Amino acid sequence: MTRQYYFDHAASAPRRDEVIDAMERWQRGVVGNPSGSHRAAREARRAIEEARDEVASFVGAKPGGVIFTAGGTESCHLAVVGVANHHRRHHESTSIVLSRIEHHAVLDAAAMMERDYPSVSVRHVDVDAEGVVDLDSLRAALGPDTAIVSVMTANNETGVTQPMDGISSIAKGTHSGGTTVHTDAVAAAPWLYLPMVTASIDMISICAHKLGGPVNSGALIVRNDVPLDAVVPGGGQERGRRGGTVDVAAAVGLAAAVRATARELTEVNDRVIDFQEKLEAALSFLPRCVVTAPDASRLAGTVHVTFEGLASDELLFLLDQEGVCVSAAASCSSGAAEPSHVLAAMGVATARARGALRISMGAETTEEEVDALIGILSSVVYRLRGEA
Amino acid sequence: MKVLVAMSGGVDSSVAAALLLEQGHEVVGATLKLWGGASDSGCCSVADVDDARRVAQMLGIDHHVFNYTEEFERFVVAPFVEGHAAGRSPNPCIECNRHIKFDLLFERAARLGFDAVATGHHAQVIERDGQHFLVRGDDDQKDQSYVLGYLVEDQLATLMLPIGHMNKSDVRREAERLGLRTWDKPDSQDVCFIEASKGREVFLRSRIALTPAKIVDRTTGEVLGETPAAELMTVGQRRGVLPGRDGERRFVARVDIAAQRVEVGRLDEILISRITLDETSLTFGHGELADATEVLAQWSAHGHAQRATLRHDAGWSLELHAPARPVAAGQSVVMYRVAEPTIVEGAAIVAGS
Repeated sequence: MTRQYYFDHAASAPRRDEVIDAMERWQRGVVGNPSGSHRAAREARRAIEEARDEVASFVGAKPGGVIFTAGGTESCHLAVVGVANHHRRHHESTSIVLSRIEHHAVLDAAAMMERDYPSVSVRHVDVDAEGVVDLDSLRAALGPDTAIVSVMTANNETGVTQPMDGISSIAKGTHSGGTTVHTDAVAAAPWLYLPMVTASIDMISICAHKLGGPVNSGALIVRNDVPLDAVVPGGGQERGRRGGTVDVAAAVGLAAAVRATARELTEVNDRVIDFQEKLEAALSFLPRCVVTAPDASRLAGTVHVTFEGLASDELLFLLDQEGVCVSAAASCSSGAAEPSHVLAAMGVATARARGALRISMGAETTEEEVDALIGILSSVVYRLRGEA
Repeated sequence: MKVLVAMSGGVDSSVAAALLLEQGHEVVGATLKLWGGASDSGCCSVADVDDARRVAQMLGIDHHVFNYTEEFERFVVAPFVEGHAAGRSPNPCIECNRHIKFDLLFERAARLGFDAVATGHHAQVIERDGQHFLVRGDDDQKDQSYVLGYLVEDQLATLMLPIGHMNKSDVRREAERLGLRTWDKPDSQDVCFIEASKGREVFLRSRIALTPAKIVDRTTGEVLGETPAAELMTVGQRRGVLPGRDGERRFVARVDIAAQRVEVGRLDEILISRITLDETSLTFGHGELADATEVLAQWSAHGHAQRATLRHDAGWSLELHAPARPVAAGQSVVMYRVAEPTIVEGAAIVAGS
């Protein structure tokens, strides 16, 4: 049996024991419907409200702004569609402004609105060669009809962080009342102190499983009084912004995950940033290996590299045989590695983008694993280059 | 041996993987993602990848998805479109097998440390005196040696075709016995990147402007009708052509897209006795065939092989022993051995007829 080296935390982080322990109570026997009025319901409701407090404090918002969802995609969808729909009902023209490097959860939600409503249009904001949103391009994209600006806090493929304060001040300065700004903080949440980084942002999407929590659990946190239509109405839960019985276990799991993340944030950053430096130094010695956005401000856990002339498919295959779990960053519904829209937006040449690898680390990553990865990846690259 | 099985998500490649596993090989499955656009099924939809993955799971083998969409566009779809624009009719399945499965996949398999590549094609490889020969599949109705006609010795030596000796019904029975969910999946028939409900015309119109043309009787010069798309007319075809004044059927004899003219004639007027071959495409399984070699030539996937003599004078051509309907440029002709009519000798793209 080959040993497993897990370097795909950005896809899904290992489930934390304390998350499992916290959820356990809510996955057996009577779990009251939190909307009810009896003791079992009250007990469930109390667990949800405690979870809501923890999630609110994790991003630095008020508990009333937390909307529990079934994950990052739903959170982003609710933000984009919910705001655009509300705007559309009150205005003749609605525009949605997005960076070109958003996750498909955001891109496709906006595209759906544009497809379904003639009054809705989508404008895309360029990024520079390092994958950082171009503020002049953002300025040019904004208009009096802009309902929402959505720019992710850090990119899920490259780990490059975005200038949230600059984005927010430009978006807010555009027209009277300002536009709503949403950030997909799913990738950033394990690494950045969100109360500070997203302080000027109206809406923040996070999800639990990137933090060691359960899949299918997340939240959209609305910091200010943002006009938002429910995407799934019915039942009036979450202050009418998301219908359906709230999953107590999922909310409790998310809360346990954010609690652990916040507690370890500095320590994990300090440790993993050393691994990042070590990995990047070692990989830059490999033939035609280029670290993506080396000079940009990036999350500590992500090492994104391209191997010109090699195919991600082949790198992944051989690494998998050696027990190494990494990702080509972009994959399509079939599971095939796909040319990345993020690298395309950065102007990375196709011959390089086709050999992209995202190595992502987390709280559980050890130096011994990093050393093993360097050895395995080096031998795989030399083998594919025919130099083994 | 360590074998990479190309699993399309169909029943044939499912059983191919299962048989190799039973024979004791170390088997890994790979599905090639080829087409990114709309499609019914064919080789490359998400549903097919799901089927292949589930079969691999049930067999207990690893499964990977390889993305060849860019190469598929470059080697198969673009030439298909350009061919039509130039009045040729390339066979995309042949081009896909040649360039994607048997060039890129073989090279990749070797780099990844595999000893052999296997597919679920209905064809066989036999070895004689150290040489490998491609042979028709035992199931006459399903034989796919035609689409593999360009394989050469070093590829044949590392190719395994585990179901080539089986009838399709036996393949299905085997899949059912193994509980593979693909056992009753319908055979794929059409070009995978063209939706059956929309057809070739809609697909081509999305890529190029199609040329309306007059349909003209080649003997009398009489205009018999019009077609909205000369690119869709193939020499030898009768569909879309009205009978002449004499009430007799007419067949396409020549397509001239630039002149917006499709010439038609009675069957006896259009028959041909020679097919010229594109020399650069000419591929022989084992060394060159000499001038005057007799072969059995087949120029469509389910056509009958016809007696012909290979000629090498100014260029290469096939002299047909019996007249035949004209063959469109761009099609492939696969040559089989006269003495042993199941053995493939080589293949070439038709330059004209």
